[in-house]
Amino acid sequence: MRNWFGPVLLGLIVAAATMWAAILYLPYGLMDIAMNRLGQGGINSMSHGNLATPERQPVVRPSPDLAYSSCPYDLSQGPLAIDVVPVPGRYSSLSLFDAATDVIFVRNDVEAAGKPYRIIVAREGQVVPAGAEIVRTDQDRGIALIRLLLREPAEIGALDAARRQSSCRTVINPK
Amino acid sequence: MKGWHRYAIAVVGGLAVGLCGAWALTDGGLGDGAIRNGPWTTSLGYGTKATDPLTRAMVARSGLLALPAKETVYWMAKTDASGARLDGDCRYSLSGAPLDARWWSITVYDDSGYLVDNPARLWSVNGANVALDTKNEWRVTISPNKPKGAAWLPVIKGRAFQLTLRMYNPGDAFRAAPEKATLPRLVKEAC
Repeated sequence: MRNWFGPVLLGLIVAAATMWAAILYLPYGLMDIAMNRLGQGGINSMSHGNLATPERQPVVRPSPDLAYSSCPYDLSQGPLAIDVVPVPGRYSSLSLFDAATDVIFVRNDVEAAGKPYRIIVAREGQVVPAGAEIVRTDQDRGIALIRLLLREPAEIGALDAARRQSSCRTVINPK
Repeated sequence: MKGWHRYAIAVVGGLAVGLCGAWALTDGGLGDGAIRNGPWTTSLGYGTKATDPLTRAMVARSGLLALPAKETVYWMAKTDASGARLDGDCRYSLSGAPLDARWWSITVYDDSGYLVDNPARLWSVNGANVALDTKNEWRVTISPNKPKGAAWLPVIKGRAFQLTLRMYNPGDAFRAAPEKATLPRLVKEAC
């Protein structure tokens, strides 16, 4: 049995290190999967998804009362401009999640006074347009998500054109 | 057995134990939050930058892209008012007064947090589509079969389920003491 003392000790150390590494990595891995599932309209582009149903659940615990528009982004080619047009009289919000799943920005329609607005998402040091509202982040990748509440799923027909006014794109010339 | 065989077994075993341990530790979900109110549980720490790596991993597994509490409070129920597991073979009464929030909804999920198909294609009720009675209360029946003359939230026979209550822009009074707020009652009527 004495022959096993060293191996068992090593095994315990490997187990503890693996567990800690897996817990640290898990959010990044799940975010990557979510970006791939939500990013079917491409990276740095706003996709206006169909309502959640059992057949379409890109993320866990999707709300069937919400119309989700999502922009999986990558700032390695430059900052991202997000234009949001709230739908009058409806709860809607823009939220930004970085690659570690942390929330870095939230604004709802009331905070925006129901008016359209633009934000620029940029890494530290990236040149941004003068006078714009800037959200700085320390991660290249993430997801911008717009939630729009529906009273009934059937409402999506009338509200689809309105939600499609919101968009995102890479800032080509930040001057 | 040679010495390096023992070390190889130890490393492989350690990797397996580590991965299984990480999976088990992050399996708690939003429902194991710090705040309890009847059958409902939540944590107001979600969706912030200050959470520790373990909480972040748990949230990523059970509620990826969840909003912070100021925007939305997510309550989870896995049991009824008596503490018994929610069961798709039973009939439950879900009722209450309008909630202290700009908007609210209650959604049925399976044990993994996904929507399950049902003939009515109905998975949630919300503050805009429930009817209020003369006492200013709403009432919904959760059951596998459609009830007569009552609002219905279908569940699947033979399958456990969970509820998620979302409160969008909860009121100041609610946020000051969420554990004392009046939340919907969830009572088992029959099995």
